Amino acid sequence: MSVKLQVILLLLFGMAFVFLINHVRKRTVALKYALAWLLLDAVLIVLVLFPKLLQIIAGALGIASPMNMMFFCGFALSLVVIYTLTMALSRNAENLRELIQREALNDYRIRRLERHDEI
Amino acid sequence: MPMKKLVIIPAFNEESNIAGTVEAITEKAPDFDYVVINDCSTDGTRRICEENGYNVVNLTSNLGIGGAVQTGYKFALEYGYDVAVQMDGDGQHDPAYLAEMEDTLVRFGADMVIGSRFIDKQGFQSSPMRRFGIRYFTALIKLLTGQKITDPTSGMRMIGKRALRLYASDYPKDYPEPESVVMALRSGMKVTEVPVVMRERQGGTSSIGPLKSIYYMIKVTLAILIESVRTRRTAR
Repeated sequence: MSVKLQVILLLLFGMAFVFLINHVRKRTVALKYALAWLLLDAVLIVLVLFPKLLQIIAGALGIASPMNMMFFCGFALSLVVIYTLTMALSRNAENLRELIQREALNDYRIRRLERHDEI
Repeated sequence: MPMKKLVIIPAFNEESNIAGTVEAITEKAPDFDYVVINDCSTDGTRRICEENGYNVVNLTSNLGIGGAVQTGYKFALEYGYDVAVQMDGDGQHDPAYLAEMEDTLVRFGADMVIGSRFIDKQGFQSSPMRRFGIRYFTALIKLLTGQKITDPTSGMRMIGKRALRLYASDYPKDYPEPESVVMALRSGMKVTEVPVVMRERQGGTSSIGPLKSIYYMIKVTLAILIESVRTRRTAR
């Protein structure tokens, strides 16, 4: 990895880190969901700072180019992030369904009470 | 004390059928209460229900058939019903069978009674393609649970209190019929069938078009397989 690329990547990942922290600070993103992103960012920063580490792991895994190793790490962690989102989405859908059902039943009860029906 | 019995009518854009369905129930099964679950219809379903003073629960967002029917089950529990039966709002189901279904539920101590088109093989029998699909589900359920359910896709099903509690807390979201039968069987519930004659739908369009059929088959197969590897709930 050339020094030039290292500097560019560091700047990029550094900005991403500031961006993330700022969002969490402003509560735009819940820390819970930002964690996976922060982990992704942190891993990438460490790999850029210590390219030797990248080479060692790449060698151990039998990946020819350290840069490919870096892409692979980014990709794998992105999948973790996406899966976290799928889980959050499923949970949200479930909560929303419960809420809509509850609201409909409460609305029904209110209408009956307003008509002074016996329940 | 007589049993409190509820007919659940899930309705999504059924303005042309809903009045007929409700009237058929009040006429042919007067000892049953009914509730229409209006699944956020975009047509005149809600207006028709309110103008006629029907007993209706309006959902704020469209939940799909599973979420709508489950709302009915929650309603049944909340208002102390002992028996609930689902009848689709499209006029395919004849309320004249409710008495026989109830009789079967009580006499056999069953938790669920399904109205099956394929015992006597009379009336509307669905298209050959669909019949093939239904037979496939029958075979799959038989393989996984050991019980033969001739019409696992039937929307006409009556359940007792135990199944009511199960479904109020956990019910499949879309295409719920075959999956929920497996849920019941896996929870150790007793499921029986009675022969019924169904009519062809009297207006509106089916929720499952030809393009969705493949998706339906795959999704329901997976749902049934996953259902049968879940930890078995014991019915209360």
